[in-house]
Amino acid sequence: MTAVVATGTQDRGAARPVSRWGTTRTVLRLHRAALLVWGAAVLGLTGWLVWLTEVTADEARAQQEACDRATQDWCDLTVGTAGYSEPVGWICLLTAHAFLAVAAFAGGALIGRELENGTVHLAWTQGVSPARWLTAKLAVPALGVTLGATVLVLVFRWAWGPNRDLIGTEWWEGDVFVTRGPVMIAYVLCALAVGALTALLLRRALPALGVSVAVTWPLGSVLARHRDSLWPTVTRTSGSGEVAEPRRAWLLENGALVHGRPAPDVTYWQCEGTPAALQRCLDDLGVTGYYATYHPESHFWPLQLVEAGIVLAVAALATAAAFRVLRQRTA
Amino acid sequence: MTDTAMAATALGKRFGRRWGLPRSGEAGTGGGWALRDCTFRLPAGRVCAVVGPNGAGKSTLLALAAGLLAPSEGRVTVLGTDPASARARVGYVAQDKPLYPQLTVAETLLVGADLNPARWNAEAAERIVSAGDLNPKARIRTLSGGQRTRVALALALAKQPELLLLDEPMADLDPLARHELMGTLMSQAAQHGTTIVMSSHVVAELEDSCDHLLLVGGGRVRLAGEIDDLLAAHARVSALSEAADLEPHTVVESRVTGRQLTALLRPAGRLPDDWRPTRPSLEELVLAYLRNPQAAPLTPATSEESAV
Repeated sequence: MTAVVATGTQDRGAARPVSRWGTTRTVLRLHRAALLVWGAAVLGLTGWLVWLTEVTADEARAQQEACDRATQDWCDLTVGTAGYSEPVGWICLLTAHAFLAVAAFAGGALIGRELENGTVHLAWTQGVSPARWLTAKLAVPALGVTLGATVLVLVFRWAWGPNRDLIGTEWWEGDVFVTRGPVMIAYVLCALAVGALTALLLRRALPALGVSVAVTWPLGSVLARHRDSLWPTVTRTSGSGEVAEPRRAWLLENGALVHGRPAPDVTYWQCEGTPAALQRCLDDLGVTGYYATYHPESHFWPLQLVEAGIVLAVAALATAAAFRVLRQRTA
Repeated sequence: MTDTAMAATALGKRFGRRWGLPRSGEAGTGGGWALRDCTFRLPAGRVCAVVGPNGAGKSTLLALAAGLLAPSEGRVTVLGTDPASARARVGYVAQDKPLYPQLTVAETLLVGADLNPARWNAEAAERIVSAGDLNPKARIRTLSGGQRTRVALALALAKQPELLLLDEPMADLDPLARHELMGTLMSQAAQHGTTIVMSSHVVAELEDSCDHLLLVGGGRVRLAGEIDDLLAAHARVSALSEAADLEPHTVVESRVTGRQLTALLRPAGRLPDDWRPTRPSLEELVLAYLRNPQAAPLTPATSEESAV
């Protein structure tokens, strides 16, 4: 008797689950302040960059050209920097490190604070199961940070492309590399997931905020340090003269080949004198040729995709772990 | 509607060092058992008091029933199913009345409406809130403890639950608000047949409104059943100490003053008339069990196993 009645009531409860829109609206309501701050940050950086590019870039370029015509030295250092490339560098730095702010938000305000002051118990005893709560808590901000990061990346690409000569940074330099591709979006999503996981593990807002930043920052710097090995490099050798890498390539290593093997430490450039003396010096060192190892600019996308893949895999693992922790601890 | 609102079988919860109910004050026992070997059955439609000293495991029991915690052993069923499946039909108000401090009262009610679209009764929520003279535009963080309790109860009641779990619901209300909200609760229970389970360590608070008792002490169930049945099963006696033989009866508490022996016991048979047996009050009964942790518990444990 009890069992029959029980299934009946269970169906009634399951028949009308919480609408997805209801949980979405609740998450938006709860984190309105964070959403506004994020929106303002994206808008502010975008507006600043557009203004710099539209208004000051041409002026900076004209100044630099005038300076060049006057055949002065160090034109790129004295003219272009202050007006255009320096603020663009700041925007790039802020954008590339936005994931730290996302990590702090996810660990602190998004999940940690709710666990600390018990408001999760309010959410979980409304019609929302803990898993659905975490899904909404991750999905809504994920959408928001993805949109914001996409806008930042697209606008930075738009500004950087035609003005890279003025900005004076290369495609492979740390912050520029991150800010110009999907890696940026992968990092903010990963920060969100890692923040959620640390908050669920620590259950305190402030420690979770600190730990999630302390975890995502090294992740970013470790990957940045090993970025060059994420895709096979190109090595060119030559028997006669030094190898020049292609224009805009990311030169990783070059030097002499000693008995056919790369020897970056051989100081072949100290040999000088007459061609005969030079050749004798090189022979003494055992130099048989030269090489250069580099990433051509065409490796930008493979490098981006591999790094984004790694970061997204970390994000997926953190998300799975967060749901697992949650499931183990609630009914 | 099933005839059992809530049932537990050998239910136990042990807390690790971190996870638990950090703010409830009842889980601060380190890595020990907050609740152990808890077996009872609560029929639907009752108003049940969960009574016990601080740290007895009341909050843990209610959190387990609300599906906020996973049991370490045994199981608890709620409205004929597991707590997770019953979530939509169960209301719960935690001891510290957690609410989102950044929202206004009106926004808090909108959250309730969004998260309970099928069951939400906006009118009931508004009625409870406005009875407390609350400004709907006031932020939760500016409210007093009693006002927060009112909002928390409005959220739980507007969900129109079949089972309402309240953890120390009246603790920070003034007597007037307590009386009014208790009246609201009771009329809800009467109108919709809602089962209410509320914990308290103030027995007097519950005596008038509750018809079922669950006495928890030291993490175990000491008494469970209809209050009338429990009172009827016990007797206060006083007799001359040398003449009285308490042996066949289950003694909960006994005291000798001079030649006079007074005791609270569960009679095993008819008591001699000269013992002057009287029916104890609920408070006397509860205090006697709490003072004497070694007294044999009285729970329908054996009948429960056949019922589930």
